[in-house]
Amino acid sequence: MDFGSFLAAPEIKVKIVTYRDIFQNKAMIEDRFGEDYKNTSAVIKMDSADLNQLSVKKGDTVIVKNSFGKIVARVEESGYETSHKGIAYMPNSPWSNMLVSDETGGSGVPKFKDIEATVTTAKGAKITDLEL
Amino acid sequence: MTSTMELYQLLPKTNCKECGKTSCMAFAAGLMAREFMPDDCPPLKNDPKYKESYEKISGMFSTTEGATETGLIVHEELCFGCGNCVVACPVNVANDPYGAGSGKAPQKVEKLILIIEDGIVKAQNVEECRRFGKNKILCNGCIVTCPVEAIEFV
Amino acid sequence: MEGNHNICTGCGLLCDDIEVELEKEIVNKVYTACRVGVAHMKEGSREASFLVDGKPVDEPAAIEKAAEILKNAKNPLIFGLGTSTNEAQKKAIELAKKLNATLDDTSSFCLGPVVEALLQEKFKTCTLDDVRHKGDVMVFWGADPSDSHPRHLSKFSYFPRGEQKQRGWEEERTAIAIDIRKSHTAKICGNYFFQIPPGGDAEFINALIDGVSGKLPKTSYGYPPKKLLELANILKGAKFGTIFMGLGLLYSLENLDPIIRLVEVLNEKAKGEFHLIPMVGHYNMRGFNQNLFAETGYVNSVKFENGEAKHGPEYSTVEALKAKTVDAALIIGSDPLASLPRSIAKNLLDIPIISIDPCETLTSKKAKVYFGNAISGVECGGTATRMDGVEVSFNPIIETKRPSDEEILTKLTEAL
Repeated sequence: MDFGSFLAAPEIKVKIVTYRDIFQNKAMIEDRFGEDYKNTSAVIKMDSADLNQLSVKKGDTVIVKNSFGKIVARVEESGYETSHKGIAYMPNSPWSNMLVSDETGGSGVPKFKDIEATVTTAKGAKITDLEL
Repeated sequence: MTSTMELYQLLPKTNCKECGKTSCMAFAAGLMAREFMPDDCPPLKNDPKYKESYEKISGMFSTTEGATETGLIVHEELCFGCGNCVVACPVNVANDPYGAGSGKAPQKVEKLILIIEDGIVKAQNVEECRRFGKNKILCNGCIVTCPVEAIEFV
Repeated sequence: MEGNHNICTGCGLLCDDIEVELEKEIVNKVYTACRVGVAHMKEGSREASFLVDGKPVDEPAAIEKAAEILKNAKNPLIFGLGTSTNEAQKKAIELAKKLNATLDDTSSFCLGPVVEALLQEKFKTCTLDDVRHKGDVMVFWGADPSDSHPRHLSKFSYFPRGEQKQRGWEEERTAIAIDIRKSHTAKICGNYFFQIPPGGDAEFINALIDGVSGKLPKTSYGYPPKKLLELANILKGAKFGTIFMGLGLLYSLENLDPIIRLVEVLNEKAKGEFHLIPMVGHYNMRGFNQNLFAETGYVNSVKFENGEAKHGPEYSTVEALKAKTVDAALIIGSDPLASLPRSIAKNLLDIPIISIDPCETLTSKKAKVYFGNAISGVECGGTATRMDGVEVSFNPIIETKRPSDEEILTKLTEAL
């Protein structure tokens, strides 16, 4: 019997910082509706301690959500030497943009690189497709 | 990055010894060390059921063919063609100071060791590399300038 | 590989030394360009395509429908243009004037403020060629050119030999990365990577100013003063220093004052001179900013009224969409449904969209009218302004049946 299924899946709060990735950019130019772009974009890189806390392994899918949106993305270990618990990284893409707040303080500049969200296991659910 | 294990996974794993080694694992290690080429495994080359693996392995080695004697390996899947190695390579600079050495398109492409073709670094004339020959030194100009560890010497 | 070199319009670097081999009018092999450039140049050679409501039509029918949408709109938005030639951008400005439209590009939520300050001469700047010939200290701050401008370091800023830099990068140049994560560029900078916490940039700047001015540099996040002083001394010792400012730094600052002040102080205290260059991404975003600035005195976010331009954040794409003040959108070479927050971009779905884009995008799929245009710099020529302000002109590499965005904008203007 899988006792784990009776427990609430652990959830952690993260601050997501977006960045640019050249292979993802190349994939977009080649086919922005293709698998390659999806697989290089819908990625969240986290500290290994955060992965442990979530009981997920690299390559698993996770649900990343906040009041603006919800996506299923693949989780990776950042591999950075310096610990960054609670800070996650995502390539800048339509997927990260589904989580960006509409609050701009009237400045015209959304907080693309400063996203607050929660992460929890997606229990094998597929990566969110790009659609409207 | 390609590892011995990855290569092994693509081999027939029958330990037939046709290559002269005692096992497929030993052959994989030989491939890594550039003692062998994929064609040195007769079943892999000739048996149609290994066709896919053969093409995959050959693909891994095709760009480094010219480099086999010297052990310079380009991990094509990692390289994005920034050209740092092309411009930093002391032999490239010496042979083409106003082209590659100045960050521009090569003017004397036939004299270069590293060039960028279709967005990926390609090694040629590797016998000119400072790491080889009788006056060899452990130059690492192309390795320390690479943002993604796409160049390796084995 | 001497002879005919092409310009790559894949990013703001506008590399001018690309050799291309064609086979049957298709780009077959590309030399010297990076992966992004190669993907960009090989993207071309598609059939002409005009859609109204998703159904194929001929060009005149698409022009007619688009003109009708714009005519019926009280306040249309014209947006995009970062990957258009100067000539197409000027056409769009003319069209915006004629329509009393809101006109903006991606720079309003990107590096626009820095380009604006540059054009207003609020800080010292220089060209990338100057950096190649003279630069001894370069700082990549909140910028990762290895991913955004792949040949930046090899063509201009770190590795190449230049007129006054004949001995090579190890001896004569110091590259520094200041970032919140170890980017590909930070990796190359080795020991000169200074990692700071998210949002810690302004304090780091102030600490550096203190360090350069002989005071003890302090930050609330306890950055080791010794390391800060080490960095301050490198900057102080520069003969020709340049800060390459990326979005990471811009988004972290409330305004540009701290970084402008740092450049000022460095010019006072350093051995030589110090410059700032914004890391403009799209191949002609700086061109759009300069063209609009020449016309109106503003770099983005304008609303035309009887030939006069009003300016302010309320006329930025983001605020105009949020407040639903625009009632139609003409979008050129941009995909706001993908690149803007979904929470804001969704308002675009309530108004008719005209999309001019070489490829199918989320935005083009939702467009009432779609023009599949020629890829600027690959299938049509013109002029553009490199990220450092240098004018570059280029010819098409391959032929196409598709019209350029400039031609479409001209026809649209005529149809009105």
